[in-house]
Amino acid sequence: MPVDIHAPFPERVQQALADPHLHTAIHRAMERMAVARTRALAATDAATMRAQMRRMKAHVLRHLPQYLETLERNLEDNGAVVHWARDAQEARTLIREIALQNGVQTAVKSKSMVTEEIHLNEALEEVGIRVVETDLGEYIIQLAGEPPSHIVAPVIHRRLEDISQIFQEKLGAGPTYDPGEMTSIARAQLRQDFFQADMGISGVNFAIAETGTVCIVTNEGNGRMVTSLPPIYVAVMGIEKIVPTVEDAFLQLQALCRSATGQAFSVYFSMTSGPRRPEHPDGPEQFHVVLLDNGRTQMLERGYGEALMCVRCGACLNVCPVYAQIGGHAYGSTYSGPIGAVITPAMASDLRETRELPHASSLCGACREACPVQIDLPRLLLDLRAELAHRGLEPRPEAWGIRAFMETMRSRARYEQAGKLARVATRLLARLSGGTLRTLPPPLNGWTQYRDFPPFASKSFREWWQEREALRGRESD
Amino acid sequence: MDARNQILERLRKLLGRPDLRFPPPETEPLRPGEHLAITQAQGDRWELAQRFLAELRALHGDGELVETPAEARLAAIARLTAWVEEERAIRHTEPDTSMPGERDVLSWAPQELPVEGLAPALEDLGFRLVVPQDLHRPDERDTLRPIRAGLTGVDAAFASTGSMLLGSGPGRSRVASLTPYRHLALVPLSRLYPNVETWLREQREAGTLEAVLRQGSQTVLVTGPSKSADIEGNLTLGVHGPKLVYAILFDDIHALIQEG
Ligand code: SF4
Repeated sequence: MPVDIHAPFPERVQQALADPHLHTAIHRAMERMAVARTRALAATDAATMRAQMRRMKAHVLRHLPQYLETLERNLEDNGAVVHWARDAQEARTLIREIALQNGVQTAVKSKSMVTEEIHLNEALEEVGIRVVETDLGEYIIQLAGEPPSHIVAPVIHRRLEDISQIFQEKLGAGPTYDPGEMTSIARAQLRQDFFQADMGISGVNFAIAETGTVCIVTNEGNGRMVTSLPPIYVAVMGIEKIVPTVEDAFLQLQALCRSATGQAFSVYFSMTSGPRRPEHPDGPEQFHVVLLDNGRTQMLERGYGEALMCVRCGACLNVCPVYAQIGGHAYGSTYSGPIGAVITPAMASDLRETRELPHASSLCGACREACPVQIDLPRLLLDLRAELAHRGLEPRPEAWGIRAFMETMRSRARYEQAGKLARVATRLLARLSGGTLRTLPPPLNGWTQYRDFPPFASKSFREWWQEREALRGRESD
Repeated sequence: MDARNQILERLRKLLGRPDLRFPPPETEPLRPGEHLAITQAQGDRWELAQRFLAELRALHGDGELVETPAEARLAAIARLTAWVEEERAIRHTEPDTSMPGERDVLSWAPQELPVEGLAPALEDLGFRLVVPQDLHRPDERDTLRPIRAGLTGVDAAFASTGSMLLGSGPGRSRVASLTPYRHLALVPLSRLYPNVETWLREQREAGTLEAVLRQGSQTVLVTGPSKSADIEGNLTLGVHGPKLVYAILFDDIHALIQEG
């Protein structure tokens, strides 16, 4: 049973905890990503890299209006059309206008969180435009009709077996568990779309102010297709995603790749500085850049500006014990994990709807340690909780059990102790009561008053992590 | 007020507030040259070439190092010829059954390739170099779509990561390194740098960095073949871009000195 993203937060958490396949998928993926990241960072001077990133990003924020104007001027000099949007509605309307004016029928997209944020696909589909996600993971979840569950790995919540099923049902593929075969099927399908599409749409990992260059990072090459083959290319970016210089761009690229997937560089790094010139053989005739606010200035105003330095690497998700338990969909927002728990409420116009998110954390600090910009996510979460309390917006009553659950994970010592006990005890009890638990000892009984409690995984994330680390140490001896 | 001015106004006002929690009032930009070199490679050009190849192979790419441009020409011909055979095997046709278009190569214009005489030599051997002029013409799109091999030079290459920087512009299509199943790149050692930071410093000092990015409408850094781990972390190659990336490194520096 997948998580129903429209259910209230406590229910989503419950559904996520009760889905054994979700756990398998997420644990397998977190293991891979955390190990890759640790290796990649050990291979360089990670401390200096982080310090430089933080310095550069803070500087950009301090001088954001100037950098935005420089970027705009240089983009225009390069032949791009620059648009500004205060909110999601404005962005959707203006992108839809560009599409309608040019008679666009099919749009191909490369993976982008910001277009998820503004619900662009629905807005285009409403006026009869076919929108095709071309990142393999995004393509799979588009087939399944689901939103992404991780900023970097959108289909992390699905096992190979599930994906095979989706291919069989939606594409009429033969039964296969061979990822290479499934990839070939997707390649052939999407190749059609790349060549036929009238419009390409992408997010932006960052833009270089001094040269007016929009940069995107991909491994599959769909980003290059989307920005090169259709006659129109639209890039959508949050106003904070600027780097001043080309050198800064390569610093951020490397910090991002190492933290996200453990790569030195992504396979492709596309730097687009304008539309095709008349003497060029290929590239789009029109190049539009949409600069989007949508709650970002509000985030700054309310004191959460530090989170605007986020490079969306996903490292904080990959080390988060709460994300490990509940996965991305349980957060019910475009951005999940620790960063999502901060920016979703910080950007929202109505705090009420997302008031539980700042409590979806044990404040263990693993996210801050993993972050390539050293964003103090636990502190920001505490600030948000304080703001919510100040405004009289405590979590809904049924979410108190979740607070108790987070409570037990708060201090590492307590988490480990309680966790070990809980794992042994819940497994024993579960065996007696046939799967899930009806009651738990305090402080967890707040939750089981409302919910059944699933047995804990037999190994905690931290135990598992330490074992991995020990193994890693041995391998490199 | 329009969206642009309202956003900029609001930011200015906010950043002027002394009680703003973040960012701090004083911040320092990173100055060019100050940036950490995140990967390193040492040695003379031969050692750098070996390092480049080792890195590229670790990423499931491949390549070879030869001594002269003339040898690079032979190596390129040999590679493209071998690829025709491999494609026949993939199609399960008899080894010597030819297919129309099997010797088509999606290429940069001959004058943009760093190996002199390669284009005519290939034509002599029955290869056809397809050089896109205007991809928005439907007939050109149809011609290049089925082509299985791409041929390009590079603007620069970086040994520490096995990466290649490719600009676009007249005679240098983006698609030559993107849509074919196999990509053959010609890498002269004069363009091989230890790492990207060395290249950035050289361009910055020469005052050409900005122009490099702005004159082509798109510049790409390519590090290995197209790949994905989206299907439960299983590595798959050739998702959208080339599945095979093969670099021929050759020493043009010796030749340059002799000519000079
Ligand atoms: S908050 Fe930090 S670790 Fe999390 S996604 Fe953003 S940059 Fe990465």
